[in-house]
Amino acid sequence: MVEFLLSPLRYEFMVRGLIAAVTVGVVCSVLGAYVVLRGMTFFGDALAHAILPGVAIAYLLGGAQGPLFWGGLVAGIGTAVGIGALSKTGQVREDTAIGVIFAGMFALGVALISTVRNFSVDLTHFMFGNVLGVSRGDLALTVGFGALVLLLVVAFYKEFLVISFDPVLAEILRIPHQAFSYLLLVMLAVTVVIALQTVGVGLMVAMLVTPAATASLLTRRLPIMMAAAAVIGGASAVIGLYLSYYVSIASGAAIVLVCTGFFLLALVFAPGRGLLARGSTR
Amino acid sequence: MKFHRSIPGLALAFVITVFLGACALPASQTSPQGAAQPRVLAAETFLADIAQNVAGDRLTVEVLIPRGVDPHSFEPTPADVRKVADATLLIVNGAGLEAFLQPLLENAGGARTIVEAAAGLSPREGHTGEHPEGEADHAHEEGDPHFWLDPNHVIKYVENIRDGLSTADPAGKDAYAANASAYIARLKELDAWIKEQVAGITEARRLLVTNHESFGYFADRYGFRVIGAVIPSVSTAASPSAQQLAQLADQIKATGAPAVFLELGANPQMAKQVAAETGMQVVTGLLTHSTTAEDGAASGYLGMMRYNVTTIVEALK
Amino acid sequence: MTLAGLLRRPRPHQHQAPVVALEHVTVRYNGDAPALEDISFYVQRGERIAVVGPNGAGKSTLLKLVAGIQAPTTGKTEIYGFGAGGHICIGYVPQRSHVDWKFPVTVSDVVMMGRVAKIGLLRQAGRADWEHVRTSLEQVGMTPFRNRQIGELSGGQQQRVFIARALAQEAELLLMDEPLTGLDIPSQEAIFDILDLLKAREMTVLVSTHDLQLASDKFDRLMLLKRRLIGFGHPAEVLTPANLQRAYGTHLTVLPGPDGMLALSDTCCEGDDHG
Repeated sequence: MVEFLLSPLRYEFMVRGLIAAVTVGVVCSVLGAYVVLRGMTFFGDALAHAILPGVAIAYLLGGAQGPLFWGGLVAGIGTAVGIGALSKTGQVREDTAIGVIFAGMFALGVALISTVRNFSVDLTHFMFGNVLGVSRGDLALTVGFGALVLLLVVAFYKEFLVISFDPVLAEILRIPHQAFSYLLLVMLAVTVVIALQTVGVGLMVAMLVTPAATASLLTRRLPIMMAAAAVIGGASAVIGLYLSYYVSIASGAAIVLVCTGFFLLALVFAPGRGLLARGSTR
Repeated sequence: MKFHRSIPGLALAFVITVFLGACALPASQTSPQGAAQPRVLAAETFLADIAQNVAGDRLTVEVLIPRGVDPHSFEPTPADVRKVADATLLIVNGAGLEAFLQPLLENAGGARTIVEAAAGLSPREGHTGEHPEGEADHAHEEGDPHFWLDPNHVIKYVENIRDGLSTADPAGKDAYAANASAYIARLKELDAWIKEQVAGITEARRLLVTNHESFGYFADRYGFRVIGAVIPSVSTAASPSAQQLAQLADQIKATGAPAVFLELGANPQMAKQVAAETGMQVVTGLLTHSTTAEDGAASGYLGMMRYNVTTIVEALK
Repeated sequence: MTLAGLLRRPRPHQHQAPVVALEHVTVRYNGDAPALEDISFYVQRGERIAVVGPNGAGKSTLLKLVAGIQAPTTGKTEIYGFGAGGHICIGYVPQRSHVDWKFPVTVSDVVMMGRVAKIGLLRQAGRADWEHVRTSLEQVGMTPFRNRQIGELSGGQQQRVFIARALAQEAELLLMDEPLTGLDIPSQEAIFDILDLLKAREMTVLVSTHDLQLASDKFDRLMLLKRRLIGFGHPAEVLTPANLQRAYGTHLTVLPGPDGMLALSDTCCEGDDHG
C-alpha cells in the first residue's frame, strides 16, 4: 500500500504536479463558492480567452521564453476590472459584460499576432498549461499566489459575505462594497490565470465550479461549503493524478472526471437533498 | 478547440485578422495566365515548396496553412474556405494529417482535383494517444502521416504531384516530368548527405525523443531508435497520462538519450520537466510541419531537412 | 460608498435634532418623471410611522433615501442632525422578495452580519458580538431557529431575523419595506409585539405597507405618499376622502364602517414600488 502511494512520487514532475494540482484544486474550489453563488460560472472560461492579448504581447517580446505568465496575469486582471466597471455602469448586465470583453480581448490577441509578424504561431499551445509540465518556477508562483488569495478570503471573509448576500446592508454599514467587489474579481482573475497556465483550461473550469457545486448539495452553511469544496478539490486532484499514473488516462481529464464523480455521488446520496433521499420521502 | 464554436463577433474578428495576416505573408503572386491555368493550392508549406519545384515556371502554387501553424490543430476560417473554393487543384499530404479536410471541402463546395501526395505509401503504425476532454473528435487513422521527413518517401510525393499536375494541365506534361526528375535527383543527393551526416553520430547515441511521434520514418530510414515522445501520439492535440510520461522518463534514463527535440511552435513545458528529471538537453525549433524558421533560415523542403539534420546531429554527436 | 465616506468616522448624534429630517427632497432617476417630489417632513425619536400609498408612490425610494443608500437629486436629508450617508445605526429590513433565501447562511449568520461594521476590518467576531447576536435573537423570539438556513423559515420568521439583525447592529432607527405583505394575522401580531418592545426602547420605526387598516390602527402617525407628500399626521387626519382620492385615484374602494370610521382597501397589491 505504501509502495502504491509512494511509487509515483519518485518522479519530480509528479511531485510538482501533485502540489500544483492540489493548490489549484483548493484555491479554485474555495473561490468557486463565490462563483457559484454569484452566478459567474461563465467567468472562468471567458477569462481563458481574454488572456490571449497578454500572452501574445509577452510572446512577441520574448518568444517562448518570454514573460508569458505575467502577460497573461496582467491581461486577466485588466479583464476582471473591465468587467466590473462595465457592469457597474448599470447599463450592461454582468454576463453580457463578460461576453463582450472576452470576445474583444481574444480578437485583439489574434490581431496582434497576425499583423505584427508575418509568421503565425499557434499561441493556444502556450496559453494553457498541463499539470505534468509544472516547473519549479511555476510551482513557486502557484503556491505563492494561491496562499495570498486564500489569506485574503480568510481576512475579508465577513466583508465578502455581506457584499454577496446583501449589498444594501454593505452600504448602510459603510463597507466599501465596490472596492471589495473589485477585489473579489481580481482574486478570481489571479486564480484563473494561475490555474490556466499551470493545469490548463479544462481542469481550471472544472475546479472552479464542480467542487463548490458538490459542496452546496452537502451543506447549507457557507464556511462549511467552502471547506468541503476545498477538501473535494484537493482530493480530486490527488486521486485523479494517481489514476493517470496507474490507469494511464490523460492527467487533466482524470482529475475532472473524479470531480464530476464526486458531484454525481452527492447528487444521489446527499442526506436530505440527494435524489435518493427525496425519492424515499414520497 | 472550444473557441470556434462561440459567437459571431468572434468569427468576424478572426476573419478580419486572418485577412490581414494573409496580406502580410510574403510572395503572394498572382497566377501567370487567366482561365486556362489550374489554380493550385497546397495544404502545407513544405508541400507547396515540393509542388512548386515540380511545377517550375508554369504554375504558382499557393499555400493554405501559414508557416508555423500546426496542421494537427489547424481550424480553417471562412477565408480559408474561400481559398479552397477558388482552387482547382488541391494538394494535400493525406494519410490522416489533415483532419480538417473533409468538412472544409464540404463547405467549399464545387469540384476540384485532389492530389494526395502520400498516396501509395504504406504507413507505419502510429498511436493516436489520449485526447483531452473538450477536443473535437478528429477521425484519426491508425497510421503515421509524417512520410515527408524521409526524403525517399518524398520521391513518391513528387511522382504523385507530377501526375496530378499533368492531368490538370496536359500541355505542361513534359515540363513537369523534367522538373520532377531534376528534383528527384536532388532528393537522392539529400539522402546521401543525410547518411553521411548521421554517420558522425555513434550508434549508441542515435536516440530520438521528440515532442510527438513525427520522426518515425526518418528514424527507420537512417538508423535511429525512437525512445518515445512526450505526447505519445501522431497528433499534437493529444495529452499524455502521468504513466506515459513516467515511462518515457524511465526509458530515457535506461538508454541515456541525450536530447529531446521539439518542433517549432510546440509548448516545451512537459518536455522541460522530463528533461529536468533525466538530465537531457532540450532542443527546440525543429521544422516538421512547415518550412522556414522564424528568422528566415532554411527555406524550402530541402533547406528544412538540412536544418533539421544539422540540428539533430549537433545535439547527438 | 466612497473612500472619503469610509474614512469619515461616525459623528456622535445630535440628540436634540429630529431623528429624520427631509427638506424639499426630490429623487429623479435618469431624467424620467420624479420618483419623489419635494418631500419635507420630520420624525421624532421613538415614533412609529407608517408609509402608505399606491404602487409606484415611492415608498421604497423613501426608505432607501432615509437609509442613506439613495441620494436625493435635490434637497437635504438629515439623520440625527447630519447627512444620511455615514451612519451605521440604521437598520434596514428589505422586502422579502429581494432576499436570496437560497444563500447558504443561517439565522445566526444573518444576525451577525449586522455586527460587521462594529467588529471592524481584519478582526473577528468577539464575545461581545456574540452576546449581541444572542440577545437580539431572544428579543425577537428566534433563538430556537438560530441554526436554520434562512430559506427554511416562514414569512414571519424571516422578518424577525432581519429585525434581529438591526438590533444586533445597535440600530436606533429601523426601516422596514413592506414587512406585513403576505403574512397571516398571527405573524403580523408577532411583528407588532416586537415593535411595541422596540418602542419601549425608544427606537424610531418607519414601516411601509399597503394595508391602510393596519396602518391606521397600529401606528402613531401616517405618511400618505404619491410621489408627493399628500398627508402626514394622525391617521384620521390624513386618510380623508380628498387625500385618498388624490393618492389612489380610482384604485380605491371605500366602504362605510360600523362605528363611522371608513374601512378602506387597496385593490392592487402586486409588484414593487419604483426603485
